[in-house]
Amino acid sequence: MESSYYCISKQSFIDLLDRLAKHYSVYVPYRKNETLSFGKLDPEQETSIEIGQIRQSQPLKSFLNQALEKVMVRDPRSEKQGKKTVVVGVKACDLVSLRIQDYVFKEGDYKDPFYIEERESTVIIASDCADPKETCFCVAMNGKPYPEKEFDINLSLLKSVSKESYLVEVATEKGTRILNEFRSFFTPGDSSHIKFRDELRRKVTAQIEQFLQKRSTQRASALGGIMKKQFGNIELWSDNASTCVECGACNLVCPTCHCFLLSDQKVGGVPERLKAWDSCLYKTFARVAGGANPRKHLWERLRNRFDKKFGFFAEVLNTFACTGCGRCIEACPGDIDIREVLKGLVTGTWAKPPHL
Amino acid sequence: MKNPYAYIEADIVDVIDETSTIKTFTLRPREAIGFRTGQFMDITAPGIGEAPFTPSSNHDTTEILDFTIMNVGRVTTLLHAMKKGDLVGVRGPYGKGYPLKEFKGKELCIVGGGVGLAPLRSLIYALFNEVNDYKKIVLKFGAKTPNEIVYKREIDSWRARAKHVDIEITVDKGDNTWKGNVGLVTTILRDLPVHIKSAKAIVCGPPIMMKFVTFKLLELGFRPEDIYLSMEKNMSCGIGKCGHCRIGPYYSCKDGPVFTYQQIKDLNEVWD
Repeated sequence: MESSYYCISKQSFIDLLDRLAKHYSVYVPYRKNETLSFGKLDPEQETSIEIGQIRQSQPLKSFLNQALEKVMVRDPRSEKQGKKTVVVGVKACDLVSLRIQDYVFKEGDYKDPFYIEERESTVIIASDCADPKETCFCVAMNGKPYPEKEFDINLSLLKSVSKESYLVEVATEKGTRILNEFRSFFTPGDSSHIKFRDELRRKVTAQIEQFLQKRSTQRASALGGIMKKQFGNIELWSDNASTCVECGACNLVCPTCHCFLLSDQKVGGVPERLKAWDSCLYKTFARVAGGANPRKHLWERLRNRFDKKFGFFAEVLNTFACTGCGRCIEACPGDIDIREVLKGLVTGTWAKPPHL
Repeated sequence: MKNPYAYIEADIVDVIDETSTIKTFTLRPREAIGFRTGQFMDITAPGIGEAPFTPSSNHDTTEILDFTIMNVGRVTTLLHAMKKGDLVGVRGPYGKGYPLKEFKGKELCIVGGGVGLAPLRSLIYALFNEVNDYKKIVLKFGAKTPNEIVYKREIDSWRARAKHVDIEITVDKGDNTWKGNVGLVTTILRDLPVHIKSAKAIVCGPPIMMKFVTFKLLELGFRPEDIYLSMEKNMSCGIGKCGHCRIGPYYSCKDGPVFTYQQIKDLNEVWD
């Protein structure tokens, strides 16, 4: 369906969310110190809601493919009391990750009914990035700092000072239903609003371009075939893995990482099966019961993370499984910077770890 | 929509001790669950865990399934403690299995090691269903010791099945009753009674054995596309989603577990 444009003030939007929360579980981004993180809509915390800015610390996948969920016997939606989810403020770097998550859980011979249920019922209210961080490199990965698809409604910041308001783009039936239910909250949008939005989009894109240029971040166009070229460069991998502590944080915060482990337990004598996010950095990730392990060394497992993102998905889906969100850069306690690793892969030169 | 992570219940109807560490469990699933030879299933010790195994029975028999399981890890230890009458879970079948069509009319050389005979037993039964469709069936098995040979009670009947079935067994270490060959399975691959240029080789065993048998077969002149390997990888979901069993662009669970050497020879992390 064709997009249509409206305007809404921040206060009206929050009022709208309060009303929506009667029928939906509504998650909004809150500012906590330097970062934004999703939390359930709470009238007492409404002053710290922040819609523009950049991506939140949790990836979108947390809402569609939960970190830990019971897949047998299935949990009734007790926590959500049967409510569908609305996620507010989702950024483009999360929306493009849905290509990977959908490929894994929605397509092919076997489908994950739990993912599909959440994916189809969740309402995504996206928003443009207004204030990118130095770790943002979506533009290098062929992304944009504003949503282009996979949203039901998108919000673009119109005034950033005291009276924040948004240009509202409605893109789907789900979005239209919300618009129609709360028509009185909106005013019509016009070409001057679109012009303002496009101007801000250009400005933010240029800002990220500057970040890329400043540290010579490699772009997607340079990454074709890098894994084939550098797979055997053991020195490169072991140097880059030298500060890895095998914590798996990069996997957990990554919007495209999808690996999981099934595990069983008994609760009150009743067998249950759990599905939990897993990390390919863990030593046992590929180990078999007989003891053989194709990735005994940590550097082999770090290499595998890159091979999955830049080798496997390039081959099977013609895309790289990195959206440039920069979360892994911030999450890594060993300061492993994916931009620097990619630079090493492309140029064949990299900084030696300081302690070696 | 079907829940792909859920198992169906199956009763253990028989347990046979094959060796000190290997047992064959006969299961009767409470719902129909067929398979084609070479496909695998996940067996659950309810509330404890699951692991992937290839049925070792004839795929023409659907009401009961055999699984030959070595006690080697957490789940298999628990399975080994189970008895006739106990309940397990079964999920599957998964993977592509053996391409019997490609084997028709050919001389087949089947090489197995240790508990790797489990999927091969299923394959042998499938071949025996139409035994005259195959020009020759040569079986070369290896075990650590005479006591470690699985399916001892059946192997003589396999020999008697047809004139063009040829079986040889070797052990790494003999004892005073052993009259056969002593040495790794690669030592009984010389002078194979097949036309190597047109024959097919099917290999299943521990990773290190698979590697050296493959190299031996190549040295003997088998073409990479004629060597079929069962790739043992860590599998959790069985349906190409959990990410554990990746080999290059493939998932062992979904695209295998049987691959030709041609498919995987240029990939990384194949043998370990």
